[in-house]
Amino acid sequence: MGEAPHTVKSYEEELKNLNANIIKMGSACEDSLGKAIQAITTRNSDIAETVIRDDEKIDKFETLVEQQVVNLIALRQPMAIDLRETVTALKMSSDLERIGDLAKNISKRTLLLNENLPKNLVDALNRVSTSVQKQLKSTLDAYLERSASMAVNVWESDEQIDDLTNLCMQEVIKYLKEDEKNLDDGTHLLFVTKNIERIGDHTTNVAEQIYYLVKGEYLEGERPKGTEPIVTGEK
Amino acid sequence: MIKIKAKNVDVFYGKKQALYNIGLDIEENQVTALIGPSGCGKSTFLRCLNRMNDVIDICSVKGEILINDFNINDKSCDVVRLREKIGMVFQKPNPFPKTVYENISYGPTIHGMAQSKQEMDEIVETSLKKAALWEEVKDRLHEPGTGLSGGQQQRLCIARAISVRPEVILMDEPCSALDPIATAQIEELIDELKKEHTIIIVTHSMAQAARVSQNTGFFHLGHLIEHGSTDKIFKNPDNTKTQDYITGRFG
Ligand SMILES: Nc1ncnc2c1ncn2[C@@H]1O[C@H](COP(=O)(O)OP(=O)(O)OP(=O)(O)O)[C@@H](O)[C@H]1O
Ligand SMILES: [Mg+2]
Repeated sequence: MGEAPHTVKSYEEELKNLNANIIKMGSACEDSLGKAIQAITTRNSDIAETVIRDDEKIDKFETLVEQQVVNLIALRQPMAIDLRETVTALKMSSDLERIGDLAKNISKRTLLLNENLPKNLVDALNRVSTSVQKQLKSTLDAYLERSASMAVNVWESDEQIDDLTNLCMQEVIKYLKEDEKNLDDGTHLLFVTKNIERIGDHTTNVAEQIYYLVKGEYLEGERPKGTEPIVTGEK
Repeated sequence: MIKIKAKNVDVFYGKKQALYNIGLDIEENQVTALIGPSGCGKSTFLRCLNRMNDVIDICSVKGEILINDFNINDKSCDVVRLREKIGMVFQKPNPFPKTVYENISYGPTIHGMAQSKQEMDEIVETSLKKAALWEEVKDRLHEPGTGLSGGQQQRLCIARAISVRPEVILMDEPCSALDPIATAQIEELIDELKKEHTIIIVTHSMAQAARVSQNTGFFHLGHLIEHGSTDKIFKNPDNTKTQDYITGRFG
């Protein structure tokens, strides 16, 4: 935060603390997402279990941030940049919490997969998740740097994630069609793919919030879209 | 609609300049809040709008203040009529040394607003009700106004100001001596009054400025640093000085 310090030091401390918790929560999410992907692509149950366990930590951050925001609003009546910091932290924490949940869900499904997965599929999964991980990292950097242009970059790359998701979906469908025995694993993998895409969506939400935080106005216009998803019609 | 237009206003107390080239448009039937650190010139500016600076010997005002497109600094301006149209509530409550009733009836009497005792009673009652004071003073209308508590005196002054139905009401920290309930009542009153009056309020409470006004002007060391919609000023001001002030970062 580039502003001069507050005259009331404890207020300054509270805002810094809120900011620090969002950063910690963001890194916890980054960590969980990375591990969830590593667990599923290398079929490592120990790592998957860590992700499941760590979700509780992320949930606790959300509660903590919520309490801090309520206290700030009730006791400090933040204005201007402080108001935006406060409101953005609340919104970010709820998207980050969802990212944690989705990473946990990926790991739960990882524990249920049994077959060795075909290499094409693992590659496709890696491609989309690498892209989402990069996006999450850039978003957290944008928050650290209070950079609207970095946030816009993330926002624009959502399109690419949609495309990679579709390619991955196609691989999963191919796998499903190959053999009736693939039905259970294939269904899990469809959800996993969808979850990765959703993590991308939440990341894009966070990027929008960062833009608002920095600029004080909303990022206008349609979110860039890739090709329409072929399997689930959710969007 | 622009009700008041200040153009190139400079104010001096002797040689010391208190306001520098102020330009500000005040919209009709809106509440405009003036904020800024102590001594920045808010009260001085407010006093320009009804020529109250005239009564300070060493004070001189330059520039134009147009109210309904008429320059009130013009020689032809009838200052008594002007102050009838532009009511004022001061920073410190200043009731007349008369009864509560007479404090209110004084203005309407001079302006011949009531034809009968009954009409005057009505004016007194509605003015006191609007100022959220009626319940507390209805049984002591004929006791001295100066015998009321500080907060009650302030509401008495507000009642006095609105009793003559001015076009514009200037309020200089009207709530500084009031408890939160009376403050809320005055804020509600301000909201109500803006339907018929144009209101300019000086306040040190950022929250109050944000709550009651539609437009805000920020003064600093005699300069008008930024003005615009209250929404913009409190969510995303353009000027860092404004932001530092409203967020409590003033060094
Ligand atoms: N009657 C006066 N004689 C000389 N100087 C004055 C007089 N009234 C105000 N000033 C000076 O003019 C400047 C602006 O004062 P003003 O009262 O307008 O400030 P303000 O913004 O209303 O402050 P506050 O928030 O403390 O009421 C100050 O430097 C003050 O000392
Ligand atoms: Mg003053």
